[in-house]
Amino acid sequence: MTTPTTILVVDDSRVSRLMARQYILGKHADWIVEEAGTGEDAIERVKTLTPDLVLMDVNMPGMGGIAAAEQLRRLLPTLRISLLTANVQSATRERAAELGIGFMEKPITEARIAELVAVLEVAG
Amino acid sequence: MFNLSELENDALVEIFNIGVGQAAASMSAIVHEEVTMSVPSISFMHRAAAAVLLGRGDHEHARICGVSQHYEGAFETEAILMFPEDKSLEIVRLMVGEAVPLQELTEMEQEAMCEIGNIILNSCVGTLANIFQHELQGSLPVYHVGTSDEILTASGSHSDTVVLMLHIDFILEKHQIHGYVAFILDISALHDLKDQINRYIARAMGQA
Repeated sequence: MTTPTTILVVDDSRVSRLMARQYILGKHADWIVEEAGTGEDAIERVKTLTPDLVLMDVNMPGMGGIAAAEQLRRLLPTLRISLLTANVQSATRERAAELGIGFMEKPITEARIAELVAVLEVAG
Repeated sequence: MFNLSELENDALVEIFNIGVGQAAASMSAIVHEEVTMSVPSISFMHRAAAAVLLGRGDHEHARICGVSQHYEGAFETEAILMFPEDKSLEIVRLMVGEAVPLQELTEMEQEAMCEIGNIILNSCVGTLANIFQHELQGSLPVYHVGTSDEILTASGSHSDTVVLMLHIDFILEKHQIHGYVAFILDISALHDLKDQINRYIARAMGQA
């Protein structure tokens, strides 16, 4: 039996988590969408979850998304991570590239989520 | 009162035009309908005068909801996005669609408006940062409800603080919703902004 694809959505905004969940499950109702409200929570969750993808907001209370992504990268070097942010500044994109992680602009839309989902579909 | 030269003013309007275009695209993706935005008009005024201008709607003391974020880096500013309070639930509904029950929608209204503010303000400010080639660090968004004067005061300004009024109408045609954006800058921030504009002009003219 294959393990269902699991995506961890990390965002302090409940409405953003809700939209990401809605669009992911709209594409693949059998996938698992887990949620975390902070970077700290996300780091705890990956210890037991082993997600296929982490969607990480940048501007969050506490450690923030970039610091959390850095820690996740150290803990799980092969984990697929994508920043999910309203911050359109080049500096943020460059930081994502340095960390070897993806970058998706907010707002969350069906088309943007579909692009991310397609990458996981190809990866199998 | 603080003033910009004609060239500086022209450059600032152009920079905001680009930022506003990005913000309109973001807003349109949020509400799933076309959003038209006016060409930004820029004026520097004291906070009290800005409050009067913003409150000059259908009702003199109309309550509005505002989402503010503090930015620092290239210059320091408090950016505020404002909508009429009675339209905020409608905007959130446009964002999440019909699937969410009204009670849940009401519970998440403030949070959703913060997220909308975060997206719109970052679209605008992020474009400025890219053009100035200087990073701007933003705080978490804060939600306010009140008259325009109360919101500008809650955002940390005094009545004699200079406000860069970037007056942009966000118009959602089908829903007749108008929104505004304002940037609050103190004198030192205004000089930093002017300095950034002049560097941008120098680069544009091949002098830097």
